[in-house]
Amino acid sequence: MGTLLSVLLSGLLLGGLYSLVAIGLNLIFGVIRVVNFAQGEFVMLGMYATFVAYNLLHIDPYLAILLVFPLLFVFGILVQRFILQRLQNEPMMQVFATFGLLMLLQNLVLAVTGGAAYSIRTPLSSMAIAVGPVQVSVPRVIALAAVTAVALILQWGLRNTMTGKAVRAVAQDRRAARLMGIDVERTYMLTFGVGAGLAGMAGALLTPIFTLSPQIGGNFILAAFAVVVLGGLGSVPGAYIGGFLIGMTEALAGYYLDPSLKQAAWFAIFIIMLIVRPTGLFGLAGAEEVGLRVQE
Amino acid sequence: MPRIRTFRQELPPLALTAVLLAALVGLYSGDNFTLNILATTFLFAGLATAWNILGGFGGQFSLCHGVFFAEGAYLTANMVLGAGLSPWWSLAPAAGLAAATAVLISWPAFRLRGPFFAIATMTFSEVVLVLANYFESITGGPQGMRVPFRPGWQNMIFTGRIAYAWLMLGFLLLALIVSLVLLRSRLGYYLQAVRDNEAAAEASGIDVLRTKLMAFAISAAVTGVGGSLFVMYVRIVDPPTLLTLSDVGVRFALIALIGGVGTGYGPLFGALLVVPLEAWLRAELGAYAPGSNLVVLGAVLVLAALFFKRGLVGAFQSLPLPARWTGRLART
Repeated sequence: MGTLLSVLLSGLLLGGLYSLVAIGLNLIFGVIRVVNFAQGEFVMLGMYATFVAYNLLHIDPYLAILLVFPLLFVFGILVQRFILQRLQNEPMMQVFATFGLLMLLQNLVLAVTGGAAYSIRTPLSSMAIAVGPVQVSVPRVIALAAVTAVALILQWGLRNTMTGKAVRAVAQDRRAARLMGIDVERTYMLTFGVGAGLAGMAGALLTPIFTLSPQIGGNFILAAFAVVVLGGLGSVPGAYIGGFLIGMTEALAGYYLDPSLKQAAWFAIFIIMLIVRPTGLFGLAGAEEVGLRVQE
Repeated sequence: MPRIRTFRQELPPLALTAVLLAALVGLYSGDNFTLNILATTFLFAGLATAWNILGGFGGQFSLCHGVFFAEGAYLTANMVLGAGLSPWWSLAPAAGLAAATAVLISWPAFRLRGPFFAIATMTFSEVVLVLANYFESITGGPQGMRVPFRPGWQNMIFTGRIAYAWLMLGFLLLALIVSLVLLRSRLGYYLQAVRDNEAAAEASGIDVLRTKLMAFAISAAVTGVGGSLFVMYVRIVDPPTLLTLSDVGVRFALIALIGGVGTGYGPLFGALLVVPLEAWLRAELGAYAPGSNLVVLGAVLVLAALFFKRGLVGAFQSLPLPARWTGRLART
């Protein structure tokens, strides 16, 4: 009983981390229809920015969110404006460009740091609390709380603010949205900026948990893509809940099957999902079919 | 209305390409460093040409071609190490195994379009990487597999580098022939119709799924053969060498895109630019800071996406040259 509880809890907390990375990715994917391969690298940049803020300015990793989010928000806007917007109707070239960005960012950090591994040790980072018989790491609980808050705020914003409604309108039908007077390019820049900012925030929240390396983005990005497909294109609740499904699967498979096969287990779920319900749990029907259609 | 181009009309430029590339090998016949680069260039040109069959002619952005590559490599390594057979016997089974895998995964994969197809195939590739590390009896696990150095024609292992350059040139020509025959066949025209407008193609009576599936299988088969040759060329393979996305699966696509996606010779031009550039950057910059060569390459990719959307072939076509010179290279 204690073991199962411990496995489930670790799956829940791992799922929180996956949701955290997937929410920004799914926002970009769902609205702009860009497969942003560099999203994991945005998370990595967020981690390094947090590390620099901690070491140079002595800012706590959690406070650094206030710095890292705007930083990556601006970076995201620049990427969208000067790279992706120019490739708007060329999905293959967008894949190409974001993959180039991935290589560029990953190896830029590698070249600058020389590949040294960094980590942050704050009083909080090694703290654990007891839940029944199980010890739970505090930074992971904070990440879980943060992703829950982000999901709620984002979902509320998309439903109730004018800007959020514009984002949803653009996601549903770009041309109709333009005819209604929505500035599509501006909405894309905002969406990409927020998506990148969320990746930066994820990076700040992950910094106390993981050792930094230039390749760390790769650890999350595949899980995040699986979450996106599982949860549904462009759906915030989908990304949130999909993260937990993937995290739980990984934890259960890792404990009961074999640790080295855990990714294969979530892939099996992913494939079954693609066959049974390709739109994902919360996706709009047909979204997977029109993903690449030129809308203009 | 112009007559439809047939494979017969592709023969003269193909022969010219073969002669030029053979002359290149002859020119550098004493220079082992350059011969190595040439062999790698031809291998990756062939692999990118194979990717281009599905990705370029068919418009399906597959990121799992590394899987077929690895299958070929592991099959050959196992046949050579386990059964003591000559690697030449493994080429046809490698093609068959890769094609069969492509058919199997296309059932779920072709339900998906566009970016969803790319993501699904990418995830597939990553999981095969996990499995390759796990099933040590087939793949040697993380330690990898080593083919002992026993030179000889029947072992496909040679002391001189020039033999590998010829071998890879042969593979490249095979890939080009398969690709051009397909491009000028009924299936090839179906495939391009599906790429350009799937709904219209289906309405005209084209069996869309069958067309994509055939292209996927052919593309995978050629890639599998490339994997077989690769393992005999480097003689030591481990899962990351065969299945890392940025080194293998995505690389085929990037080479094809830089050269000119969907054109017959684009992938070859892409490889002629990218592979030597990579080797040069690694030699020139790799020593200063780790990864700085890849920083440059990443920047090249972003810039190519922005300014050379139709690749080298597209850039060449837009030069102010007579149309009968420029058109021949790339007309699809």
